[in-house]
Parts: sequence; structure tokens; C-alpha cells
Amino acid sequence: MIKLQNVEKVYRTSSIETLALNNINIDVRKGEFVSIMGPSGCGKSTLLNIIGLLDAPSKGQIEIDGSPVERYTDKHLAELRNRKLGFIFQSFHLINDLSVIDNVEIPLLYRNTSAKQRRELAQEALEKVGLSNRMKHFPKQLSGGQKQRVAIARAIVGKPEIILADEPTGNLDSAMGNEILGILQKLNTDGATIVMVTHDEAMAKKTDRLIRLFDGTQVS
Amino acid sequence: MLRHLFKLIWNKKGTHSLLIIEIWAAFMVLFGVLTLIVFNLRNYLQPIGFQYEQVWNLELSSNQDTTELAPKLQRVLQRVRSYSEVTVASRMSSNTPFSANQIGNSVTYNKVDVGADFYYTDSELAKVLNLPLKKGRWYTDADLVGKYVPIVINQAMEDKLFQNESGLNKVVKRDDKTFYKVVGVVDRFKAKGQFMSDTPGLFQLLEKNDRWNSNILIKTKAGTDANFEARLVKDVAMMLPGWGVEVGYLKDSRKNRENLTLVPVLIFLIVSGFLLTNVALGLFGVLNLNISKRKGEIGLRRAMGATEAKVTGQFLGEIWVLATFSLVIGLMFAVQFPLMNVFDLDKEIYIIAILAAVAVIYIIVTLCAWFPSKQAAKIHPAVALHEE
Repeated sequence: MIKLQNVEKVYRTSSIETLALNNINIDVRKGEFVSIMGPSGCGKSTLLNIIGLLDAPSKGQIEIDGSPVERYTDKHLAELRNRKLGFIFQSFHLINDLSVIDNVEIPLLYRNTSAKQRRELAQEALEKVGLSNRMKHFPKQLSGGQKQRVAIARAIVGKPEIILADEPTGNLDSAMGNEILGILQKLNTDGATIVMVTHDEAMAKKTDRLIRLFDGTQVS
Repeated sequence: MLRHLFKLIWNKKGTHSLLIIEIWAAFMVLFGVLTLIVFNLRNYLQPIGFQYEQVWNLELSSNQDTTELAPKLQRVLQRVRSYSEVTVASRMSSNTPFSANQIGNSVTYNKVDVGADFYYTDSELAKVLNLPLKKGRWYTDADLVGKYVPIVINQAMEDKLFQNESGLNKVVKRDDKTFYKVVGVVDRFKAKGQFMSDTPGLFQLLEKNDRWNSNILIKTKAGTDANFEARLVKDVAMMLPGWGVEVGYLKDSRKNRENLTLVPVLIFLIVSGFLLTNVALGLFGVLNLNISKRKGEIGLRRAMGATEAKVTGQFLGEIWVLATFSLVIGLMFAVQFPLMNVFDLDKEIYIIAILAAVAVIYIIVTLCAWFPSKQAAKIHPAVALHEE
């Protein structure tokens, strides 16, 4: 489903060259729940950005569903992100000026989906995360756990095959974190492939496979 | 997407209220200036209806002299006509073409009351100004024996006073004692120049014993120069000792008159240009700040499938929606002008000004939003998400 071969990422400024990722080889199979672990600054988020096509590697190859994406145009990459990938972020990234349901609808705005259909799909996604009673609320009226559930609803509203979660429980207490992990596990059971970045060993152990990074290098 | 943008802007209406007021104020000023420009431009494109080249205005003022003014004026007229350099000459009231003077009154026909400019002049004015008649004839001294005072009216007067009828040979009244008979109709007579609107006007026959109207319009032959002007002034001054004698060229008067119209328009244009520049700079600054504050949102939208073009489109769309809110408020005010017939201007002028003001506002906001929107689209999604 997701294949990274000899991926390297170098950040260059006028005086410094930083190797953020070095020779990463990952193969995530369809339906797998994989977690990426490592200490702060080891390149976890960079790796997730590369998998999510938000950043390009300096070297190496990425394949999504068997197709190499190096030569894809901005339009093609955007379409791929929209159709195949769902993102969940540690800081939720909800738009405070939009209601919960309008936030959830965002990925569908970049497809040819009618307003009615968007509304139905967003309601369905919110029901899955147990927030159908908060549709008209605004993010500022929600708790951290509720915000993350809205973010999950937004990630799944377009029915993507892959969900990329960047420390989804990082800003939540353990009870709320377990609840969010539960939702992700349920989505995985329903067929979604999930790649989750975390620094919580206990959370990582609940996933199918663990990839460890240290100083930009894959250690397991 | 449009609904989404409306929702986004509507939910942030408090934050954007000052910007909405700023765009609204710019629209109102622009509407005012454009109304003035459209009004003057439309007038400018209409011919003035007469020829003024080589026409001089001999202005006589009797000063302390109060005796036998009418015979003296008649003698001067005869003398002026006798020069070989003069083609034709005509006496006229002080509201000569391009002068600042105005004589107005109203006339009534079938209970329709129309205000008009009155020009008191003799039978020769049409020849001096080459004023073509559309209907009927120009009055002559022989008309003085008739029961009614003969007048020639312009087309605007005929349209307003007689609606769809012909005004020829109709009798109209100024007051209960003065009745006029229309003997001819001219097309246009824009005495105040190119920028004057085509308003109702009438020419009334000046009696020979008239002592008040002391201007003489002189049509000179081609090539007549200042030597003749000096001779003319000298001769007339000798005939009318103690009188003031001045000669002006209608060509020069026309330029002065047009400048009087153009200067306020230019001042308004400069003021509104300054205002619009301020609005544009303000918008540009606000949008730049807005984008740097919304980097996280830009990153999120890119992650959710927005292309660079769609991010640009979104920011442009937001400013268009914002401008639309302002314009809707502005239009509620602006449409009152044509609806309530403010300043008695043609509705079409207001409608053109409204459409032009709307177009200019959209152009300005687009230009101001273009660069920040492009910058927003170029923000790398991974960097934008990280900055949040």
C-alpha cells in the first residue's frame, strides 16, 4: 500500500546541512496499523509528511498503491491526498471560524460533491466518532478529546484507504488518548490502513507493527 | 465552495467589520465621483449645437449714462455691421455663450410647467452662431406686430413642455400677462459649453427699444486679427463716451468655462484616488497579515487536497465575498439616487456609475489580494502545518 525505498531527507540552509532522514525503507501493507516511534527530533513527523505527500524526499522512492509519485504534478498529488489519505494532527488543526460539521466537510470541498451529499457524509462521519450532537458547535466550545474526534471525522469523511496520524493523543490525557486510539483501532478493523506517529510506548504496542527511528535512521 | 466562503466570512464578520466599512466608504466615494464623471462625459459627447469660432462678444456697459440707451445701442450695432471684417452681428442678453450669467424663468403649457434658460436676442443670432433650425423659422422684427411674443425653443424644451406633440405655433404663457408663440425649434443650445447638459431653453425676440441687453455678438471673417479688435474698441468708445467697452473671444470663454467644470472633477478624482490608494494599501496589509496568521489553515487545506490554484482561489474568493458584503450595503444607499431622482439626473447616469464603481472595487480588491494569495499558495504545506 505504502512503500518507501532508500528515502533520505536533507534540510539545507546557506551554512548547515541537516540529515533528517537516512535510508528509510518501509513497506506498509493494506489494512495494517503501523506506529512510528522515536524521541523528539528523530524525524518522525518528517517521515509522516513524506508518506502523506506533503513533503518530497531528497532521495529515494515512494509508492502509493504501487505507483511511484515522484513525477506527479501538484494537481495530481493534491488529488491523491484528497482521495487516498486522511490526516490527523496532534494540534487538531480545526478552523475555529467554522462549525464542527463545516470543518468535517472540508476534504469534500475539493471534490465534485454536492452540498447535500457533503452534509450527509459529514453527519455520517460525526456519528462514527460519536459527535453527532455537536454538529453546530464551534471548536472553541469543545474539549480536547472532542476536537480530536472532529479531526478524525474530517480524516475519514472522504473514505480514504490510508489514515496518517501525527501524535493524535499527544495533547490528550490518558483516558481521552485511549478513547481516540480505540476509534483508530475500530477504523483499522473496518479496513483502513493506519500509520501513526507516537512517542507513547504503550500506545505503540497496541498497533500491529512498530517502526523505530533514531536520529533519522530506522532502527527497527 | 462559494457557500463555504460566505460561511467563513459571515462567521468572521466581527473581525472584518472595519474592512467592510472601508470598502463600503470607498464604493460610496467612487460612486459619487463616477456619477460626476459619467454626467460630464455624456454631456461632453453631445454636440453643443452651435458654432463659436470667429465669434466675438462685444460687452458694453453704460456705467453712469442713463440717457437714450436704446438708440445708442442701435447705432453701435449698425456701426459694427458696417465693418467689412464683420459677417453678421446680433444683440443679445448678458447670458451670452460660455458666460457665467444665467437668466431663467418658467413657462406653462396645458398645466405643464417647465423651467428654461431665457435668451433675449434679435433675428440675427441664428446666423451669428450658425444655429440650425429643426422646425419652423427664426423670428423676425415683423413678428413684433403679432398678438404674441415670438420665441424659438430648443428640442429639450419641446420634449418637456409638449411631451409627444409638436410645439410649433403653440401658445405658451410665462405669467398671466405674457404669452409666447413658438415659431421655431432648434436642436441643441448648450450655451455653457460642452459639459453643460442639454436643458430647456428659449430665445425671445429683443425689441429695438430695449435698453438693458447690451451685448453684441459679432461673427468676423476668417483672418480677422487684433488690429480690427483695437479699431473696433476705439470706434465704439468714441461713439459711447464714458461706457465700458470690452471684447472677448467665445473660443477663449469656452476654454475658461470648461476649466471651471473640469477643476472640481479633477479635485474629486485626486481625493478619491488618494482614498482608494489608502484602501488598497490597507487591504494589502490586512491580507498579508491574515495569511501569515492562517498558515496552519493553508497547510491543512493543502493536506486535505487543495491545489496551489485552489488556495489562491480561496483567498481571492474570500476578498470578493467581503467586497460583495460591502457592495450590497453600498448598493442599498446608491440605488436610492436613481429611485428618488436625486439632483434630477438621468437614471442611466446613476446606473452606469454604480456598475462602474462595482467593477472598480472588484478590480482593486483583486489586485490587492492577488499577491498575498499567490504567496499563500506557495507556502509549503509541511512547513505551514508545523508553524501552527
